[in-house]
Amino acid sequence: MPNLLLFALLGLGQGALIAAIALGVVVSYRGSGVINLATGAVAMVSGYAFWALTSGFFGVTCPVPVAFAAALAVALVVGLAVEAVVFAPLRHASPLARLAASLGVLLTLQAGVLLIFGNQPQQEPSVLPAGAVPLLGVTIPVDRFLLAAIVGGITVLLAAGYRWTRFGLATRAAAENEQAALLAGLPTQGIATVNAAVAALVAGLLGILAAPIIQVDSTTLPLQVIPALAAALLAGFSSLTIAATAGVLIGVGQSLLYYLATQSWFPTDNGNALPGMSQVLVFGIIVVALFLRGAGLPTRGEVAERRLPAVPASERLARPALLAAAVAATALVVLPYDFRQALTNSLIGAVIVLSYVVITGYLGQISVMQLALSGTAGFLLARLAGGHVPFPFSVLLAATAATALGVAAGVSALRVRGVSLAVLTLAAALAIEQALFLNTSFGGTSGLGVSSPRLFGLDLGPDGPFRGLDGKQPSPVFGLLVLGVAVAAGLYVAHLRRTVLGRQMLAVRANERAAAAAGVNVRGVKVAAFAISSFIASLAGTLYAYNYASVSSVRFTALAALGLIGFAYVGGITTVSGAVIAGLLSTEALVPHALETWFGIKGTWALLFGGVSLVFTLVGNPDGIAGAHHRRKEAAKYAVRTTVPATGETA
Amino acid sequence: MTMFRADAVDVRYGGVHALKGVSLDIAAGQLVGLIGPNGAGKTTFIDAVTGFTPAGGRVVLDGADLSAQPAHRRARRGLARTWQSGELFDDLTVAENLAVSAQHPSWLAALGQTAGRRPRPDDVVAECLDRLDLGGLADSPAHAISQGQRKLVGVARALAARPRLICLDEPAAGLDTTESAKLGRHLRAVADRGTALLLVDHDMGLVLGICDHVVVLEFGAVIAAGPPAHVRQDPAVLSAYLGADDQSRRAAGR
Repeated sequence: MPNLLLFALLGLGQGALIAAIALGVVVSYRGSGVINLATGAVAMVSGYAFWALTSGFFGVTCPVPVAFAAALAVALVVGLAVEAVVFAPLRHASPLARLAASLGVLLTLQAGVLLIFGNQPQQEPSVLPAGAVPLLGVTIPVDRFLLAAIVGGITVLLAAGYRWTRFGLATRAAAENEQAALLAGLPTQGIATVNAAVAALVAGLLGILAAPIIQVDSTTLPLQVIPALAAALLAGFSSLTIAATAGVLIGVGQSLLYYLATQSWFPTDNGNALPGMSQVLVFGIIVVALFLRGAGLPTRGEVAERRLPAVPASERLARPALLAAAVAATALVVLPYDFRQALTNSLIGAVIVLSYVVITGYLGQISVMQLALSGTAGFLLARLAGGHVPFPFSVLLAATAATALGVAAGVSALRVRGVSLAVLTLAAALAIEQALFLNTSFGGTSGLGVSSPRLFGLDLGPDGPFRGLDGKQPSPVFGLLVLGVAVAAGLYVAHLRRTVLGRQMLAVRANERAAAAAGVNVRGVKVAAFAISSFIASLAGTLYAYNYASVSSVRFTALAALGLIGFAYVGGITTVSGAVIAGLLSTEALVPHALETWFGIKGTWALLFGGVSLVFTLVGNPDGIAGAHHRRKEAAKYAVRTTVPATGETA
Repeated sequence: MTMFRADAVDVRYGGVHALKGVSLDIAAGQLVGLIGPNGAGKTTFIDAVTGFTPAGGRVVLDGADLSAQPAHRRARRGLARTWQSGELFDDLTVAENLAVSAQHPSWLAALGQTAGRRPRPDDVVAECLDRLDLGGLADSPAHAISQGQRKLVGVARALAARPRLICLDEPAAGLDTTESAKLGRHLRAVADRGTALLLVDHDMGLVLGICDHVVVLEFGAVIAAGPPAHVRQDPAVLSAYLGADDQSRRAAGR
C-alpha cells in the first residue's frame, strides 16, 4: 500500500508536464482554433536550451537563473515565430490543414533538435530543490510536490485571468465566434498571438522544470502531447482546470501502471511485464473522452474555410503508368546498388502514401494509423513465413488480416471525423507501436527475420541471384516486384477517382449531409475507403518486411507515420503523382539518398526539409507539388474555354 | 391513393416543440407550397420527412413506411431534397454532382465495381442538366459557378435521382425576380411530368403563382391549407403574416 502511494506521488512530476502541455494545447486552441501538435515539441526545445546553456554545450556555461530565463525566452520566441510564420497565414484554412501545419512544426523542431544535439537523451540539472519529504511511511522527492503546485498555481492564475480580465473575455468571445468577435472590433490576430505566447511559456516552463525527472530527448518529449491531448479532450478544449487536473491524473495513472507492472499478477510477455500499457491507457482515455464529449470539438464561427486541395480525375492512365514503369524498371537494373535500394525504398514509400491518398485525399480524413497497419502486416508476414506459408499466400493472408484490423478500427470510429479522428488515430498508432510491436510475442525491436519470397523456385527477394549491372545486392528482381505492386496500386487509386465509389468519396468529403440526401450511404463509403486504404498500407508493410529481410518496430513508429503524412502533403495528397513524389522524398528514398551521397547532406536534414516544406506547402501551395502542376494545366485549359460564352446564362 | 403522406410529424429540439403533429398528403405530379413566417417549422418539416432530424409520426411513400429509415435510404426510395445553401459537392464537376445522386449501388457493390471499367456517363445526367438549361456547365467545377446556378444545380441534382417527391428548401432565396420566375417555370414543368414537389419559399409571388395547393405553418402547426386563391384570403394566414395581435386573431376565428 505505501508503494501504491509512492508511485502515485512520483507520477506528479510527469503529470505536471502533461498538464502544462495540456494547458498550452487548450490555450492555443481557444486563442486561434489550432490543435497544436507541436506544443510538446516547444517543451522539448526549452528543455534542450536549458540543458545546453547549463552544460556548456555551446562553449559557455551560464548560471542557472540566466539559463532558465534564456530557455524561457527561447520557448517564447519559438511560440511567437510559429504563430507569425505558420498559423497566422493559415487562419482561414481548414482545421485539418492547420493540424497538419502544426505537425510540420513538430517535425521541424524535432529535426532541428536532432541536428544540433544528436539523438542522445540528456540529463538536465534540476532547478527545483532536491530534498525529500517523508509522508505516511514513504519518502517523496520534494520537487514532485513543487511541480504539481506550480502547475496548479499557473492553472488558477490562467483560469482567473481568462475569467475576469478584459483580455480573457475577448479570448472567450473569439473562441465562441471568431467572425462576430472580428465584427465587434476585437483584434483576433492579436488575441491569437498573445495566447500562443502564453501557451509557449507554460509548456516551455515545465519543459525546463520537469525534464530532469524524465530526461530530455527528442522522441518522448514531443509525444507527451498525446496524453496532453487526451486531457484537453476531456476538458472539451475549453476548461483549463479540467485539462490540468486530467493531465496530472494521467501522469499519476501512468506511474501507477509502472508499479502495477511489477506485481506478479500483471500480464507478462516472455517474462517481462506487458509493454505499452501506458499508451493503451492514454488511447482508452481519448476514446472515453470522445464518447463523453461527443465526436466533435467545440466549433468556432470561423471567418472562412479553405477547401481541401482539388482531386483531378485523370483521363489517361495507361500511358503515363507504362512510361513511369519503364523508366523505373530500367533504373532498377542500371543503377548502382545503393541507388537501387533507395529507389526500391521510394517505391514502397509511394505505396504507403497511396493509402493516404485514398483516406485523406479522397475521403478527407486523416488517419495516422495506416503505418501501424503496415507494421502489423509486416510482423504477421514474418510469423506466417516462419510458419512455412508459401509466398503469395503469406502476403495476402497478412495483408487481409491487417486490413480487417483497419476496417474494424474504421467502423468503430465512424462517428469520429476530422481533427478528432486524427488525434484518435495518433494515439492508436502510438498504442499499437508500444503495446503490439514492442511485444516480443508478436514483434520486437531487434527485428524478426523474414525469408525471401520464392515463386516456382525463383528467388524474388533482395538477395536473389540476378544482381543488376554492378552485380551487387539488392537484386533488381525484388525491385521489379515492388514496382509491379506500386504500379498496380497506383493505377487502382487513379482509376478509383473515376468510379462511382470514388465520386461518392469526394461527395462525402465535400458534404456528408448532402451526400446522404443524394442517396449515398456515408458510413458504407467510409468503410470501403478504410478497407482500400488499409489493404494498400498492409501490402506496403509486407514489402517493407521483404525489403530488409526483417521486420522491426522502428520503421512503423507513430513519429514515422507523422513524417510520411508530412511528405504526402508536400507531394500532393490528392493524386497518384503526388504519392510518387512523396515516395521519392521519404526517409531513405532516392532524393535524400542522392543528397547524402553527392552533397553529404544527412538524412536528418531531409527530415528538417520535410517539416519546413510541409509548413510552406500548407501555407503557400495546399495542392502540393503534383497539384500545383495540375492547376497550371487546368488554368491554361480554362483560359481557352472561357472565351466561349457560358451557355447556362443565356436562356 | 396519395403517393406521399406525412402523418402527425412531430419534432422537439430540447424544450422547443418545433413541429406539433403536422400532416400532409401529396399526390404524384402535385406542386405543394409550404409557407409560414420565420421559425414556423418549414425547414424542420423537410428535415423530418427526409430523415435529417429525429421525428415522431409517420412518413409513407408509395405505401411504404419510411419513418425508421436513415436519410440515404429515404433518398433511394424517392425522397429527394435540396438545401437552402445549395450544399453542392464542391470538389466535383456539375455533371459529377448529378451523377452521384443518379446512381447509388450499395457500398459493397460500388467497392466491387472499382475493379471494373470506368462507369459510362448516365443519360439522366445530361437530360436533367438540359431540362434546367445547365448543359453548358456540365464540366465546370461546382465551386466555380454563380449562386443562382448553384441553386439550379441543386434542383437538377435532386431530379437526377429520378425521385417521386422533391422537397425544395427556399430555392428562390437570393435569386432576382427574373431568375425566380424562370425557376418557377422549370419547377412547374417538372411537376407536370409527374414528379411531386414540396416547395418552401418566402417568395409569395412564386409560391402562390405556381402551386396547386398551399399549406401554411405557424409555430409548428398547420393553420391553413387549400388552393392558393383560398389561402391568400384566409384571415388566419393574414394575421400570421401581418403579425396581428391576439384580439384580431381571435376575431379571425382562432
